[in-house]
Amino acid sequence: MAAKLNVSESSESDSPNLSNLSACSRTGSRSLRVAEKERRKNGAEEPFVLALKYFSNVEAGTPVIGNDEFERNMVLVEQVAYFKGLSPEAISVMLEFAMSSRMGTNPCVRVLKCLIPTTMVPQEAVVRGVAWLGVGKIPISSQVLFIKWVLTIFDMIDAKDQLRAIYGFIFSFVTEESLCPFICHLLYLLTRKESDIEHKMYLLFPQGRQPFLSHLLSLYKVLCPELVTLSIPSRMRSGFRNHNSPWKSALIAVQKSNGSQTDSSTSLPLTIKEKTSLRKRKHKHLELPVLSSQVNKQPQTEPFTSRKVVPLAQLHSLSQLLENMHCIELPAQMGSLLGSSLALQYLDCVQDESALLRLNFWLGYALNEEFFFCGDGGGSQTSEEALQFLDKLLSSQQFLQEGFSSTEAFLYKFLSVWDGSLFRPQILSLLSNIPVVPNSQIGQLLFEPLMQLFFTSSLFFRCGLMECLNNMLLKWLTWHSVYALEDDLDISLNSHTSINMTLSGFKDSVMELIHFAGRLGSVGLQLEGCHSLLLSFILDFYETVCDTFLKYGLPLVVMPPPGVFYPALFAPDPVSVDRLVNIMYRYKVNLTSAKSKEKQAFHISRQTFREFNHYIVVMVNCLWNSKMFQPDMGIQLGEELLLKSNIPEYWASFDLVHHPAFLSYAVDFHQRVSADHLDGHDLCLHSKPWTWYLEFLNSQGYDGTGFSLFPSFKNNASYTEYGQHLCFISAMLQNGFQG
Amino acid sequence: RSCLGLTPALTARRLSKSRKAPKSHYITVRQRQPLLMFFSHEKVNPEHLALLLKSEWKLSYVTPLYQFRHTQLKSYSRQLSAFIAAEKQQGFAVEVDGSQSNFRVSFSVVQGMTETEDDAETVLIQVRAGFLRPISEAQRSVWSGWLTCVNGNSDYLCSLPKDFICLPLFGSSGSEVLTTLVQSWFQKMFDCCFGPLEMNNTCLQWLAALWTNCHPESSIQHLKMIWTLPVVPPLQITYTVNPKDAWKLWSSVRKDPCEENKEEEGVSIDIEDVMRFMQGLKSHFYRHFRLDLSAGCLKQVSTALGSATFSGRVKISNSQYILSTLTLLTECALFKMPV
Repeated sequence: MAAKLNVSESSESDSPNLSNLSACSRTGSRSLRVAEKERRKNGAEEPFVLALKYFSNVEAGTPVIGNDEFERNMVLVEQVAYFKGLSPEAISVMLEFAMSSRMGTNPCVRVLKCLIPTTMVPQEAVVRGVAWLGVGKIPISSQVLFIKWVLTIFDMIDAKDQLRAIYGFIFSFVTEESLCPFICHLLYLLTRKESDIEHKMYLLFPQGRQPFLSHLLSLYKVLCPELVTLSIPSRMRSGFRNHNSPWKSALIAVQKSNGSQTDSSTSLPLTIKEKTSLRKRKHKHLELPVLSSQVNKQPQTEPFTSRKVVPLAQLHSLSQLLENMHCIELPAQMGSLLGSSLALQYLDCVQDESALLRLNFWLGYALNEEFFFCGDGGGSQTSEEALQFLDKLLSSQQFLQEGFSSTEAFLYKFLSVWDGSLFRPQILSLLSNIPVVPNSQIGQLLFEPLMQLFFTSSLFFRCGLMECLNNMLLKWLTWHSVYALEDDLDISLNSHTSINMTLSGFKDSVMELIHFAGRLGSVGLQLEGCHSLLLSFILDFYETVCDTFLKYGLPLVVMPPPGVFYPALFAPDPVSVDRLVNIMYRYKVNLTSAKSKEKQAFHISRQTFREFNHYIVVMVNCLWNSKMFQPDMGIQLGEELLLKSNIPEYWASFDLVHHPAFLSYAVDFHQRVSADHLDGHDLCLHSKPWTWYLEFLNSQGYDGTGFSLFPSFKNNASYTEYGQHLCFISAMLQNGFQG
Repeated sequence: RSCLGLTPALTARRLSKSRKAPKSHYITVRQRQPLLMFFSHEKVNPEHLALLLKSEWKLSYVTPLYQFRHTQLKSYSRQLSAFIAAEKQQGFAVEVDGSQSNFRVSFSVVQGMTETEDDAETVLIQVRAGFLRPISEAQRSVWSGWLTCVNGNSDYLCSLPKDFICLPLFGSSGSEVLTTLVQSWFQKMFDCCFGPLEMNNTCLQWLAALWTNCHPESSIQHLKMIWTLPVVPPLQITYTVNPKDAWKLWSSVRKDPCEENKEEEGVSIDIEDVMRFMQGLKSHFYRHFRLDLSAGCLKQVSTALGSATFSGRVKISNSQYILSTLTLLTECALFKMPV
């Protein structure tokens, strides 16, 4: 094997190693390119880059003795290595140079001794180094040194999967007498349950009973007790010794100097830890724990119940989850579930109170520490972490379609200190997930802080809050509609949930919420000058409210306050007016249906009917009947004031033709019709222009105003008047065109 | 399906408490402490007591421990030793022969530190170095810590499911690295969380008043308070009061204690008393230096009976009042509980 691999030096060689080698030089040159970029930033680095270039390109067979260039470059690399350590790329280049023995075996030891990593060691470099061992042209002492080096920097290797993949290859060196102790140690570190132990065992036995072998064997025995029968002393005095002597002091020195300069991302344990931990620990609470299996096993009282359990961490698909549903073990730290949808699915199924409580403790702790107890506010990095954390929390809650109780407790506290802008979308989404709040506390916990925020914040916050309240209401109503099916309406809603709430209690809470949103809506519209964006969010809310009875089965009808109704009725955009008509129509349907089965359903107060009737009368008179400002309508203006305004036919100024929202449609309609009929008078004389107009509005998407919802008004006796109104428009337009 | 909530009891506690001033509830509970809670020395192992009084403790709060068993302490000792050894060796290859890096952990129960039936027994953790050497002085204690619950809110404790043991107050003394290691082991084993427990103004003021109240029985020597004022540059004020003056002020602000004594057993201390006491101290300071301490922040209180800092370091020097102090600290820790 050695002979075959030997030729791989020359670039003309057709050995299978060629591609590997060129790949390596490619990585080498890539690393150089990276280094080059660095150099441009920092001119002082240049000689070091050139030195690395020299070592990656030096031709095989170049003599060492008397080679000044080599000496100069080597000294340079050594200086950098001992001063601040080598970057991963530099390690790759130098290790490849040493192990390939391109300049003979002499430099190998020297290079290995100065391989002090700054942060980490690329796994590929180590794997390639191990591969070079197989070539067999390195003296044993250098091989030993190399393995010692690997052992020393073992924890700094960025990944170990590829090393484990060549477990068998590494194992083959066990037969080499002087390498054996170190190989055993390396194997000890690499062994996993999955490693093919059975096969290796037979090779180990003839090797004798040196301490390092028994150590490895003891590990095998732990992993596969059925295979190793020999007795191993329970406590071995000495096992693997440390072989880090050539590097230890240099490593610590490098780590120290780096640690004080920068905060290296991959912390080197022991030495740097103390320095970085202060900064890191502060924000550690936002890190999700690793999904690991339980360490603290419950003591098995009965030996025969030792049924097989599968840790959640080992499951990777839903089908696996379903197969092992009966024997799944929850992880050691429930916080780790938040990152895994599979685990959340399981959590959703089992409904284990302790498990949920553990999750809630962790979650509440993390939220509290981040937002209350971490006084310094943190930098941009913190808020980035917090953002990710909140997003993860939100997606988990959305996945479960439920809020966590610790989130709820956190929100109540947080609302009183919130400025309304920090993580606004996330906080509002979290807020919309909270479960029903009892009537007695809803004001103090929710409304007071929200009211303050609402009045002092921007339009966007106000819109966001209305949307949040709408979502909250939707969740509550859905919650109710699910449980109302299971339980009788008039007993307490499901006793197995957290909140023991009677139907009337629930109704009170919902009513409070609707009234609160109504108050906010009225005031908000005033403050924002009836902003159509805000109005749209408010109408969203009332689209939910008007259907509480029919859609969600909750016997409750709450009318919008005048502060919402009138701004919507007189809104300058047709969409809002149309939505209002739709909402009123749904109110009507709900009320009618509630009234028809009033005996079984519930009692609606007279007040509600009175309000509804009043709104309907106003709306119909205003939009269709052109009877604004009639004495019984609620909106009262002095007669003389109206006359003073010099508006002709003021009573018609908000009907569907003159309403500011629809005027443009009336114009459009007129133009289309007159194009067909050429003569505007034709239109006026026509018996059904009003119906046409409504159909036209309907075709434009305004099915509310377009009468399809209130067909009873179609036969309104006064519709001939509308012919005249349209004539008025045509006259106005013609005048306008002529003039 | 809506089971992601908690038990009603927990919900109730959360709703009623989260908004209220933390102390209002405690007053009635603590009322009789200074006199009644004399420590019965026979109950507690004197070695443990000496250890508790010896060092200054850095406090943390701990969420309830899941599946912690007082019967498993031996096995916990073993596991934590192994955990510390493993963590210490990270970064270098396995080191078995080096004797100095070995730690031996021992868990023990401190009997008699509980006040009510709901309190879980206090657990003491000690880490000693030099495990292979003969058991002698060489086994010096390098780190110690304890978990306790004294007079915990019984509503809260009872609302927890059986799997949870609530020991909300954690004190540690020793290297930070070991504290972090022990905490992370607890986190992994019992799925709990540790957070720093800083002592707010109210808590420190309570301590000042409680200690002053003990003056007739055991002298407090001095009442020393450190305040910081938010000015540029920051101003730190050390305010030391003669014990007799402190006691005089304290007795003058108290609502005629004799009368109360007749009505009920023991002496009750009200939050108003404490506030009046502090106000008296502050106005005295203002008269002399024209500086209003109300604008500042109380950072430290110390007397001969003990000392406490804002950052959560506490030293209790007198065994008689250890329980009343720990009760107050337990309340502070419970108040930090997320759920």
